[in-house]
Amino acid sequence: MSIYKRLVAALLLSVMAVSVQAETIRIAIGHQSMCTDTYTAGIVVKELKLLEKHLPTTGKYKNAKYDISWSDYSSGGPITNQMMANRLNFGVMGDYPLIVNGANFQKTDSIRTKYIAGTGYNLKGSGNAIVVPVASDIYQLEDLVGREVSVPVGSAAWGMLLKAMQDAEISSSQYVLKNQSPAVGAANIAAGRIDAHADFCPWSELMEFRGTARKIYDGSETGIPYLHGVVVRQDFLDKYPEVAVAFVKAIHEAGEWIREDPMRAVEKMEGWTGVEKEVLYIYFSEGGHLTLEPSIKDKWVDALKFNHGVLAKEMDIAPLDFDEWITEEYLIQAYKELGIDYLKLKESIVDPVEANVGRPMEIWHSRDGISTYETFPEFLSAIASFQDTGAKLNASYVYDKETGLKLFGKTAFFVKNSEGFTTFLRKPEADAYAAKTEGVVMDLNGAIETQRELLASVD
Amino acid sequence: MARIASVIVRTIANNALRWWLIAIGLTLSYYMFLMLSLVVRFGSLPNYVNFYDWISSIRMIISSTPSLRDQIYIIRQEWLVEIGYMNYDFGLGLSEWSLVLAPAKMLAVFVLSALVATYVLLIRGRRKSCSTFLARTSGATAGMGAGCVGVASISLYWVVCCSTPTWVVGLAMLGLGVSTSLWIEPIGPWLSSIGFTLLIISVYVAASQSVSGDELSESKEIGRTR
Repeated sequence: MSIYKRLVAALLLSVMAVSVQAETIRIAIGHQSMCTDTYTAGIVVKELKLLEKHLPTTGKYKNAKYDISWSDYSSGGPITNQMMANRLNFGVMGDYPLIVNGANFQKTDSIRTKYIAGTGYNLKGSGNAIVVPVASDIYQLEDLVGREVSVPVGSAAWGMLLKAMQDAEISSSQYVLKNQSPAVGAANIAAGRIDAHADFCPWSELMEFRGTARKIYDGSETGIPYLHGVVVRQDFLDKYPEVAVAFVKAIHEAGEWIREDPMRAVEKMEGWTGVEKEVLYIYFSEGGHLTLEPSIKDKWVDALKFNHGVLAKEMDIAPLDFDEWITEEYLIQAYKELGIDYLKLKESIVDPVEANVGRPMEIWHSRDGISTYETFPEFLSAIASFQDTGAKLNASYVYDKETGLKLFGKTAFFVKNSEGFTTFLRKPEADAYAAKTEGVVMDLNGAIETQRELLASVD
Repeated sequence: MARIASVIVRTIANNALRWWLIAIGLTLSYYMFLMLSLVVRFGSLPNYVNFYDWISSIRMIISSTPSLRDQIYIIRQEWLVEIGYMNYDFGLGLSEWSLVLAPAKMLAVFVLSALVATYVLLIRGRRKSCSTFLARTSGATAGMGAGCVGVASISLYWVVCCSTPTWVVGLAMLGLGVSTSLWIEPIGPWLSSIGFTLLIISVYVAASQSVSGDELSESKEIGRTR
């Protein structure tokens, strides 16, 4: 080749390179600000601009411009629709909508998504729950026979309800299933217009916090992990794999930011989402429902396969090739670049039953913030003295003996026996424990009064 | 066949204004009925409206979807306008329900209305010339066809049906059981095809009756002349 030709070729190549480098990369993300478990890949990353922080700026991205947009949705379904139209490249959603996303894309001839990372999880399935009006006489699943139960059909809570009823050997003909949105379900529970309502995070806790509902069943009783994750269009991943790696790094950092100071995090998140900070605290604090860790564990894949089976029974969902859909490539690369051992992370699983043993109880004083108490007498005495001074308490938190779950003190069942107090999520377990240990079941106010009497008798 | 086609074209041409009025009126009435159903069903008026850049969405779909079949499938779901109700009791607002105007579905509804308009104009004034039985049968067939297309073209969104297509969501919202709605989900395109087929048959039957009526009049005319 002559020198002239070489020069022309070099010039053409450099022009092409410049045109590639100068392109604007559109990153459009669909998330859900009313679904707590998505926050570490959604609202936190958005508000703290964590994606911008990790986006590549070297090599082929040297002169690239990023056009980042965030769209907030009420549920996962519309995110999938927008991803199909390529208006969104990334989608953040719960396990059931994720499966529908993967299956819907695999149903097409030419477009696909990949499940590239989780956001967080609860090993046993907490996050979903069944609640009843606070004054209801329903305390367990068996009491729902012949009653009306509402749920957002197609959601993770719907899957949980079906599984819970199957486990309790209650057939679908033995109760009336109604299709209700979270907000409508919550309003109906508050007004006592429905016997029970099943919903996803954080609706049950939101209703409990507002004093309108009481949990009779927690998703953790199904034993099926509850997880959320991120799906990305395959064509975007093929073109910009480094952006997906940056997104995973952002998820990791969002989790770290929350862990660093949960109180600061929930206060910020309340402003960003409108969900009460006291409710968010039950998810994001130490000992909370959520373990913020995005690795894709074998157990998660099994759970997703199980969920797909539930959907296949109940509706016409397309088959889903999980091996083709799930990839750990971007997680592995992101953690490699962060200098963290991904495989070690993947192997670790937090079980609230074990992890929350001995955790202190907490009281959220509206002015002074959170204070912790190692023992029930300290905890109950503190509330009593706050009440005496008229101090405003935002919330108090205890742990369920059975599941290790963090609970609002005001909704827990306290059992007082000769050894002291123990707290439970559900009344049947509290009753059984009380019968076994010759104890008495009471609510928070009853426990405070008992503690006052104990102190008075000592004096 | 040619005579039938010419009768249809002639009928539409002779009643062009009426044809357009019926077709557009039925399309508008259909969407007004859907909105009214939502308001009655949920007891609240819509409180938000969103407009979507449909043209650029279509461009994007075509450029980023290699398969033509997939392009058609996705374009059919694209929205132009969304009118709905946002619940602000929780968080920063939650879209509870909405009526979605998707051009592909609007086109289907307009074609449905146009077929109904053609049928109505064809049978108008021809009632005396055809048998009552045939008129009733073709009327019932047209009604059934319109019903099938109408149901399959429902374009409603409801937050609780997050993983189902819009026509099934519509049925669930309007009171059909959840399980039943989910089970009949795959028959949507079939329902639409059956509806259009029935409507086309009705139009064909009505046009052939017109042709027979014309032939009868012509033969009477010839007889009189002789």
